[in-house]
Amino acid sequence: MVRAGAVGAHLPTSGLDIFGDLRKMNKRQLYYQVLNFAMIVSSALMIWKGLIVLTGSESPIVVVLSGSMEPAFHRGDLLFLTNFREDPIRAGEIVVFKVEGRDIPIVHRVIKVHEKDNGDIKFLTKGDNNEVDDRGLYKEGQNWLEKKDVVGRARGFLPYVGMVTIIMNDYPKFKYALLAVMGAYVLLKRES
Amino acid sequence: MAAAAAQGGRSGGSGGSSGAGGGSSCGTGVGRSGLLDKWKIDDKPVKIDKWDGSAVKNSLDDSAKKVLLEKYKYVENFGLIDGRLTICTISCFFAIVALIWDYMHPFPESKPVLALCVISYFVMMGILTIYTSYKEKSIFLVAHRKDPTGMDPDDIWQLSSSLKRFDDKYTLKLTFISGRTKQQREAEFTKSIAKFFDHSGTLVMDAYEPEISRLHDSLATERKIK
Repeated sequence: MVRAGAVGAHLPTSGLDIFGDLRKMNKRQLYYQVLNFAMIVSSALMIWKGLIVLTGSESPIVVVLSGSMEPAFHRGDLLFLTNFREDPIRAGEIVVFKVEGRDIPIVHRVIKVHEKDNGDIKFLTKGDNNEVDDRGLYKEGQNWLEKKDVVGRARGFLPYVGMVTIIMNDYPKFKYALLAVMGAYVLLKRES
Repeated sequence: MAAAAAQGGRSGGSGGSSGAGGGSSCGTGVGRSGLLDKWKIDDKPVKIDKWDGSAVKNSLDDSAKKVLLEKYKYVENFGLIDGRLTICTISCFFAIVALIWDYMHPFPESKPVLALCVISYFVMMGILTIYTSYKEKSIFLVAHRKDPTGMDPDDIWQLSSSLKRFDDKYTLKLTFISGRTKQQREAEFTKSIAKFFDHSGTLVMDAYEPEISRLHDSLATERKIK
């Protein structure tokens, strides 16, 4: 592959020219390329925010990270959550909650519930596959969870699909590389 | 994704493409910006990957545009394109508003604003689909011919084309809308793309340009007769 011009800093005009499509574009077409990329990102964002609004949960789709709920859920399963305020929390239900001060949601079963007349509750959770209840996971001095700690309760699940997320979180470089390549493809290729 | 990058490279080819009308000319003056000259490859012969259907269609469309704008000196009208760009920009604006609002006021409080933005976004998507399907159709050029006497409104020429997936028959349709009588006339041709490209994927303007001129003249002469 012959490179055009040896004098000065010529841009490549032969060989692999990934900017080939861009160089033929006028200002409006270049703007449209950027817009196209922005619209793909926006669509994904809007679908996610739409799910948040519909389900009432701040994280409507979560991945099971540990084996503490086997044989019901395994590591890598995808869970769909809803968080409607009217739904009561009863012993035996599977809820996803966040411990105050920690980012990672935990998927366990409710084993004890105390309820006041006005609807306030406090409840205790335990993983099906664990020996002891979750008091060791709660904050220092906290023995019960409240409604505000709940992210949602599981309404449906897809097995194995979440393994992709686990792999991408274990190897962040792979995730960024994949996103960069996909982004470059959308930005540099002209849409028909 | 290496396949995608290689494909992009092949369609870029060894240098060039027809312009879309907006580029700078290949610098003849000594003082022109060197980098911009090297970036733009408007005036070199078009070479693309002949097996890539969308690259073929794009290069044929661009060359047809070039003929109408440079040979007949019509002025391009960006109204249709600007409409599409505006709709897309407004949609992205809703998305950005949703993102920022949700960041400043975490979830439960931001619910009404989020709901509004999400619904507006999908409404704009619907509008965009309707716009591209019914108003824009497959038109890629709207050009005006200014009336030389300056009295009558402009005549409008529209170019639209189609090339089916994995097919080699390219259809180019030229529409003429008279400024004075508001009458619309069309002419089109359907030819195999093999007639216009040589075996290495270079567009042969000598074979393509007469086709465009023939379409144009067939519509222009009718006008003179009337």
